[in-house]
Amino acid sequence: MNRKLPLGHDERRLSGGSCAVPFGAHDAGTGRHGHVTVLCWAAMILFGLTVPCGAAPDAFDDDKPDSQPATGPTTAPATRPDSQPTTDEARPRRRRPPRGESETAPASSQAATSAATTTTSTTSTSTAPAKKDKFLAVINGRVITVTGPVIERGTVLCKNGTIDQVGREVQIPTDCEIIDARDRWVYPGLIAAAAIGLHLGSPPEDNTDVFSQGMNIAVASGITSALSGNDVLKLSFGSVDDMVVRRNVFYNLGYPRTAVERAKFLSDLDRVRAYQRALARHELEKQRDKDAKPPDKDWIKGRYEEFRKLLAGETVAVQSANTAAELTELTELATRYGFELVVRGAHEGWIIASALGRAGCSAVITPRTLVLPDERRNRPNGSTIENARHLRDAGVPIAIIPPAQIVSIGGLAGRDLQHLNMEAAFAVRGGLSNDDALRAITIDAARILGVDDRIGSLEAGKDGDLLVADGDILHYMTQVHYTVVNGRLAYAKARDSLFAHIRPEGKPEIPQFDDQWPRRLEWRE
Amino acid sequence: MLMRTGHMGDSLAVRAGQRLAAIGLLHAALAGAWAQSATTAAAPRDDDGEDRYTVILADRVITVSGKEIDNGVIVVSNGTITNVGKSIDYPRNAHVIDARDRVVMPGLIDPHSRFGLPRYNRGGVNGQAGAADEFFFVEGQFDDLLDAGYTAVALVPTGTGIPGRAMVVRTGGPIERRTLVAPSYLEVSRDKALFRGALEKAKQEIEKVEKARKEWEEKQKAESKPADTRPATAPASQPPPVTQPPGGTQPATAPATTQATQPAFKPPPIDPAHQPLVDLIEKKEGLFALIELQNASDYLHFRQVLRKFDIAHAFLVRNGLQSDFFRVVNDMGEHKPRVVVMPQISRLPLSAERLSVPADMSRVGCEVSLTPLNDSAGEYRRVLSRAADLVRDGWSREEAIKSLTLHPARLLRIESRFGSIEKGKEADLILLDGDPLSGMARVRGVIVGGALIHEVANEQ
Repeated sequence: MNRKLPLGHDERRLSGGSCAVPFGAHDAGTGRHGHVTVLCWAAMILFGLTVPCGAAPDAFDDDKPDSQPATGPTTAPATRPDSQPTTDEARPRRRRPPRGESETAPASSQAATSAATTTTSTTSTSTAPAKKDKFLAVINGRVITVTGPVIERGTVLCKNGTIDQVGREVQIPTDCEIIDARDRWVYPGLIAAAAIGLHLGSPPEDNTDVFSQGMNIAVASGITSALSGNDVLKLSFGSVDDMVVRRNVFYNLGYPRTAVERAKFLSDLDRVRAYQRALARHELEKQRDKDAKPPDKDWIKGRYEEFRKLLAGETVAVQSANTAAELTELTELATRYGFELVVRGAHEGWIIASALGRAGCSAVITPRTLVLPDERRNRPNGSTIENARHLRDAGVPIAIIPPAQIVSIGGLAGRDLQHLNMEAAFAVRGGLSNDDALRAITIDAARILGVDDRIGSLEAGKDGDLLVADGDILHYMTQVHYTVVNGRLAYAKARDSLFAHIRPEGKPEIPQFDDQWPRRLEWRE
Repeated sequence: MLMRTGHMGDSLAVRAGQRLAAIGLLHAALAGAWAQSATTAAAPRDDDGEDRYTVILADRVITVSGKEIDNGVIVVSNGTITNVGKSIDYPRNAHVIDARDRVVMPGLIDPHSRFGLPRYNRGGVNGQAGAADEFFFVEGQFDDLLDAGYTAVALVPTGTGIPGRAMVVRTGGPIERRTLVAPSYLEVSRDKALFRGALEKAKQEIEKVEKARKEWEEKQKAESKPADTRPATAPASQPPPVTQPPGGTQPATAPATTQATQPAFKPPPIDPAHQPLVDLIEKKEGLFALIELQNASDYLHFRQVLRKFDIAHAFLVRNGLQSDFFRVVNDMGEHKPRVVVMPQISRLPLSAERLSVPADMSRVGCEVSLTPLNDSAGEYRRVLSRAADLVRDGWSREEAIKSLTLHPARLLRIESRFGSIEKGKEADLILLDGDPLSGMARVRGVIVGGALIHEVANEQ
């Protein structure tokens, strides 16, 4: 019976790419290969050795398959700065807890576990056999790291769900799952800055159907993370582990519509701001007068507590706003009270793009939105496909979402999450550069969601979320061939029933039509 | 010579009178004195001192545990099978059940049912509750199950969360011997967060008891130190008495030394709703959790909890017409849990490809038991033909028969008494008019405890 097997069970080698292990084969899998490597480089530098110590001579002979060119020990060592693309923003990285069950453990035990892991990795021979490291490598691909340079014929090595190394010369350990991305493009997994219906229940990580059709299709479209509800969650198709990236991402501002409610809203904000100023004054007073009384804080709860967190910069506000008037009001509000604001929609953002940029707002937009201008209003209005470019030029970080934030298998195609990349391509049509459009569905979306320390680009230390496509992801013919979520293969086109039959060889070729529109009917005599 | 049938007739008159007494016994069982009542109920029935033999002559005997025997003979004494084979000698005064045109196999066992019990919705953790709370023996209540060939059935409590503990009953025979296991396994419906929370609470309960024990031991030490001048020699000469609190909540590895004058350790009371979960964590013999799975994702979710809490468990697999359990079948092969599956062929979602969840699961090494699709009498009668469908689809015949008899018996921990036709097991058998997996076979007679208690006449 020709039955579809679940992904990632039996087959270690996926596309016939053989794994050459010329170096460190004897100790790979125990987590020591990195140390041996470092020792060897040190030895080479110190003594000028040509053959690294500890490497079996027959391990790197000539029958090494050329599918693995970057692993030869005679080539220059992969130094860390090379393999790790530099980020263009020096933002402090939050340390991640080790993967596995410890995610739900309290912080103290997390620290203990991470300490234990560090100890294990340095003295792996003396300790009891720890949990075996799980490796996955994508080799020979054109690696688009997004935050760093594009690496031709590069390798991305994931270790236990996290990217361990990215670069041209990466040592592949033994017992490593290998995806051969020859002639393919490797991207970080796409991020949907809004998604409905992919994760269900509360809490989602306990109730989500990880084999659902929606998640299957979304993963097949290259999406690996999404803002579901108010949480950033992984689309870990086929696995229930490590689903949560970040909880409670935004504070929903809920800016009222009527004047009376707005007055109340503003007076509440003023009250909280006055409290914060009083608190700051109290801090100063305390230095002079030990018995200074702190301001009354009993009323700081509920909505006031939310406002306090917002004004203190602990949360980011989100608000749907589309017209220039609404956006102007919100930017003024954000400027006056100094909080961080993300606007959703913003189809007239292009009109006041510079104001949005000055206020430090971000925008989650849909470039294809079409709202016709109203001629009766004596000023620019309506939507434009150039919105994304205008916002970008004004320095507004943008994330792009499709018109419908669901996975849909009915109705008119091309407007749902399956076509997140196409939505970014529409921004390119409106003048945005390819790179910026790609960033709007990867690292910029991650930054707006506050998870750019974990996802959004291919860098060592980030989550092993990536996709392998047969071309530029913004091209309409490009198809996703593999999707990796948390260092685990979640989708393989050839082995899934969804799109396996479409161009199975994976070579995107532009179709040549033998006639043109308007079509001429030819009657051969 | 008094025939077995005559004896049965006598007992019928007695039985109505025994009913009230049996209900009384049941109440005693609920009060926690089940073991005691079981021993009294299992008193010998034949008081004339003479062993009565019943002999069943069959066209074919499907023993399940061994080979099938053509023209087989089954000798039964006091409800227990004493011999099975071909051309066996038996006493001349034995009561003969002539089934030489019938196929004899062990009675079917349903490991998960609410047959005849009302539905109601109860949420949360209810480990103290059980099917025994709501169950009464009523004459003829299981006639439909006997028609379908079921001789034992596990009745489960209903509700979301953890509704409580099941009980295993026989569908026929004298009332005082009908309850087989009560309480049996713990039913767990598909609520991962609640299950994990309940286990965490149970762990806290265990820690609470251990903490109290430690405090008590320290207090004992502090009290005994000034009084006892030579504490080291006394325990060496004679072993100290070990206190074992009731309920088995105290681990046996830490015996407490007590002196006769000092009060024994009283463990703080454990929340009765979480008591079965405490027992599960402490790996109490015979108890396991039957976890309901609606889809493949549920398996991964519960596996995550079971990685944290290593408890005895089995899965109730609700394989519907469109089932995605094929996605986790290989994962299941790593742990080989016992599974209760519905005899149904599924389709791959969005395709016409047929999937047999029972066959897939037994292929990877899980012990598969079958349960009807629902609790209607018609569905019970259809189980054999549904199993035949699965066998036609490629499931092994041997596994299919075991999944109806021996495997549920092992799941319910009654395999020493039921589930196959073997020496020493009880004679709960069914007589069929053809091969059970021919798709056409009907149950024509049911033997419980060696007595033919139910017969289905030929219609027309």
